[in-house]
Amino acid sequence: MFQSRQGLGKVPRPLTFLLCLNCKTENSRPFKDGDYVFKEVEEKCPKCGEQRMVITGIYVREERQQAR
Amino acid sequence: MQLGAQGDITSLIATLLWLLFFAIFFFYPSFSQRIQLSHMLRDLERKLGRLKQIRDDVRSRTLQVLGGYSERKDLDKELDRLVNSFMIPPESMDPYGVVYKLEHIAVTWEDSFEDMVRELCPKADRERAKTLTNLVEVTRGVDLIYRIVRHFYLMGKKTNNIYLVLQLQMLMPQIMEIAEAYRQASYAFSEGQPIGDGVGVLAVAKLVKDAEKKTYEIAKDTVVHELVFEGRRLLAVRAAGPGGAVGRPGEGVKRLVEAENGRVGAIITVDAGLKLEGEETGKIVEGIGVAIGGIGIDKYKIEEIAKENRIPLYAFVIYESIAEAITPMKESIAKAADKVLEKIKAIIREKVKEGETVIVAGIGNTVGIGMT
Ligand SMILES: [Zn+2]
Repeated sequence: MFQSRQGLGKVPRPLTFLLCLNCKTENSRPFKDGDYVFKEVEEKCPKCGEQRMVITGIYVREERQQAR
Repeated sequence: MQLGAQGDITSLIATLLWLLFFAIFFFYPSFSQRIQLSHMLRDLERKLGRLKQIRDDVRSRTLQVLGGYSERKDLDKELDRLVNSFMIPPESMDPYGVVYKLEHIAVTWEDSFEDMVRELCPKADRERAKTLTNLVEVTRGVDLIYRIVRHFYLMGKKTNNIYLVLQLQMLMPQIMEIAEAYRQASYAFSEGQPIGDGVGVLAVAKLVKDAEKKTYEIAKDTVVHELVFEGRRLLAVRAAGPGGAVGRPGEGVKRLVEAENGRVGAIITVDAGLKLEGEETGKIVEGIGVAIGGIGIDKYKIEEIAKENRIPLYAFVIYESIAEAITPMKESIAKAADKVLEKIKAIIREKVKEGETVIVAGIGNTVGIGMT
């Protein structure tokens, strides 16, 4: 009883947005367990190489909607 | 001759068949209804199967995540115990004081639920345990949906009651959407990702960010930031993150107003609110009153203390769907937090005089949103 063969859909994964505390560049990467907004992380800035960045946002990117 | 005889037989058979159909509908007028019923039941059975799939998926994910923080062998059984637990609302035949009775019961339930999760997962830290509690609540929610739908499906099947089945079938699209949202929510709570409902908290966190302030806990899981904003005393209330919690903003605001002896210029609440279909996600609307969802205890408390002290109530609501509220935060909702921030500042400048005190409460689940 109650069988279904359909698979369950994919779940959107959020991105983590990081701000370098040195050069103020923002970049993003896929969310990692342990991330939270306003957390200071020790990750290398891809631009200036500084080791300290702060998470400014975690959200799912949306495709720009066309005008209806 | 022969040809004519064959034609007679054909027309005779046609007539008999027609008579048979006529007889069926004459003696059995609900025949078409029976066909419709079995068709609807088949459709419901398929959807119920999918619901079960979602429930099993959420349950196994929860079990797996809890297992990472626990060494219990009977985790399976203990999870079932939590999932099947319930809260009995107070008797409202005599409504006097019913909100406080409801609060007492709800608080006891929430606390014991959280304690049970903590006990099951001793390896989880304070913040993680709160998020895990939310995850178990999601499992409980989706399990309840499945069991209720199954109940009405089986009832309809047993009694052949087309009206019962019809009502369930009408609700199924929304139910399936909510179940799918629960499934996505289980991913968010498994890893501690911010959800759409957290936008109110996010806005308040951004409001007090980088300001010089005093921070302390005012109620369980609820903190206050005390700061000065353009000559006004600003008391910002929010749930303590980044673990999943909504805190007790009603109790928090009440205690603050009492501590100020009622001298508060305004209470501003910011929360996510249900949008209507066709409306844009992340749209900000403003109004008067207390913007808080849930069972109503927090809303009641703020309304009561505000009325007693004649404090104006202003509210900002960020529109999202019920699914968006419990799934990982969307970009448009995250961006709305920055926009609502400016609106809060504007309303403080407009409605609160310099030297006065204003309370701003960010409502929502603080999962994945740290302290500022
Ligand atoms: Zn840098």
